[in-house]
Amino acid sequence: MAVLDTMPIFSYIWKKLAGIHLTIVLCLLLAADLSLGYVCLNRNEILFAPLNDVGLIAWINTYGRCNLKSTAWLLALLVLLTLFCINTFVCTTDRVARLIRHRKKYPRLRLLFRLAPHLMHYALILILTGYLSSYTFARVLDSRTLVPGSSLRLPGTEARIQFQSFSPDYYKGSRMPAFDQHVIRPRARLLLIDGDHHRKAELSYNKPVIFKNYGIFLKDFAPKKKGGGMNSNERIDLTIRKDPGVFLYMLGMLLFTAGIALYLTDWMAPKNGKRRPDE
Amino acid sequence: MNKILWFFLYVPILLLPILVCACGQSGDRSGTEDHNRSFIQLGEFTLQKVSPERIEVRDGAGRRLVLVPKNAPAPGNVDSNRLIRTPVKRVAAYGAFNVSVLKALGVLETTLVGTTYPTEKWHIPEVRNGMKSGKIAFLGSDNSIDFERLDQVQPDLVLTWDRSIIPMLNDLDIPCVITSSTTAMCLNTRMRFVKFLAPFFHREDQARNFFNRVNAALTEIREQTHNAGPPLKVMWGDIYEKRVLVEPGNAWVAELINTLQSDYLFDDVFGTSCIEINVERFLYSGKEADILFTYRTPEQGATSKKALARLNPILSGIRPLNDGKVYAPLPHYAQSYQRLDEILKEIAAILYPKFYKDYALRYFMELPETNPETRRRR
Repeated sequence: MAVLDTMPIFSYIWKKLAGIHLTIVLCLLLAADLSLGYVCLNRNEILFAPLNDVGLIAWINTYGRCNLKSTAWLLALLVLLTLFCINTFVCTTDRVARLIRHRKKYPRLRLLFRLAPHLMHYALILILTGYLSSYTFARVLDSRTLVPGSSLRLPGTEARIQFQSFSPDYYKGSRMPAFDQHVIRPRARLLLIDGDHHRKAELSYNKPVIFKNYGIFLKDFAPKKKGGGMNSNERIDLTIRKDPGVFLYMLGMLLFTAGIALYLTDWMAPKNGKRRPDE
Repeated sequence: MNKILWFFLYVPILLLPILVCACGQSGDRSGTEDHNRSFIQLGEFTLQKVSPERIEVRDGAGRRLVLVPKNAPAPGNVDSNRLIRTPVKRVAAYGAFNVSVLKALGVLETTLVGTTYPTEKWHIPEVRNGMKSGKIAFLGSDNSIDFERLDQVQPDLVLTWDRSIIPMLNDLDIPCVITSSTTAMCLNTRMRFVKFLAPFFHREDQARNFFNRVNAALTEIREQTHNAGPPLKVMWGDIYEKRVLVEPGNAWVAELINTLQSDYLFDDVFGTSCIEINVERFLYSGKEADILFTYRTPEQGATSKKALARLNPILSGIRPLNDGKVYAPLPHYAQSYQRLDEILKEIAAILYPKFYKDYALRYFMELPETNPETRRRR
């Protein structure tokens, strides 16, 4: 902060970056961009699905660059979110610095409560940074197929994942006859083998398995219906990721929860019908 | 200072229109020459020329495979079952589509060593002769492959739609390419798919010629049918014993029908080829359709409208079986990707017979009201 005071140009830029005007403009642009994204995403998932496997930089250089008509909104979103993060960081840091400068005015607990919204802002930046590093630095083993009894080894380790059996839940209701006997919850039973240590795990959509710092995700499966049809052989397709971003966004979520808990505690605390002197 | 203010507040506002303008200039360059581009996307399939000696492809299952010439050193960071030495000399292929792509590339006779159809099911003379002479092996049906036989024929590559065989092929150390995808191929992908397999055989020139031929045929058809009059309503699918299967709106046939100024009635359905829908949705479109393309060949019972109605009494109420027309594919239709230009023309001729007078159908047949035998008996 002292540096900013000595250099007026930096001080000016800092003030402008912290401004509410910039926040409003960015929010409006984000809304417009996301609306455009909705239109571009419609029936165009095949352009964006590989983003999870190939990583952001490789995706921009290939799918992104060759299909700008449909992907420009995502590139713009990245720029807008970066500006939004900078705006949030500068604005929050500005307020936090001011609070710390005047810390003697507040009792310690009061100071902590006043920091709660700022903690949530920092947490948001941390979550977004986590997702960015996830898409940029994650190591991904693309589509690995297993059939019952087969296994695969995690790279750089002796640990193995064995697919034991597939026991999905089928739709048995009567309200949607078109879904009769379709799989509504695929459940793959895995055996995670690390030397002499064996562990059983159940893998499903939205229920990944974490093993040796790798995340194991269910990408696809067959059969989709009882009795099978054309793809009647049982199989699961996995995506396996080693993701450095997970720690960051988990930490961000934790901080956000702590921030919101502090904020709510302060909000719900009895005020004796009076405004606090520091407000 | 005002300039700095302007810069930080309004650059984001300018950002979007600039990007949108950029989009207008780049867009989908499907019409440009693919061989000048380092990255080609064909639906879910991609091809990336990393260096003159390394091409990376992404198959229908989203697996990254690396193509390296036979005489080049092996890259260190690639699994052996994801590394394909080119040109590929021995191929085992599932189904008819993969085999007919090999024919389109002109490598069928020299590379095919195994298929999943028995001799009598083939209509491609090279395959029939190859199977009779023992050069091409029957590997068992699609769902019950004889892996010992497959291992004996020692293919360098397996072309398949069945992902469940990947672990077994990994054990046998045979690389494979999944040639089907989770969403149906659009018309552009169908026409250019040959370009995806071309680098495996160093047949890029043949692929380019094939695409140019099909593209020229499509352009001609478009010109011929652009003033076609009121659009016809078309449906493509069939009702089977336990399921109703149709071509979705994103499939190449749907796109072709819409391109030719007709209405494809399952435009709202999106997904994989031969997608399952409910019977009510099928019958709803059946009320207004002029033409039905069934999946069944005459061998599978589609010999007449009556025969079709007998197979599925529920079908008998739809308009094409009463006032409209029904077309069934002939058995060699599914094995004729190499003649895609003729197939496109034939579909155009079916939709607009007035523009194609005296055209003799070669890949489809119009179903008569009743079977010829029945008529004779009457």
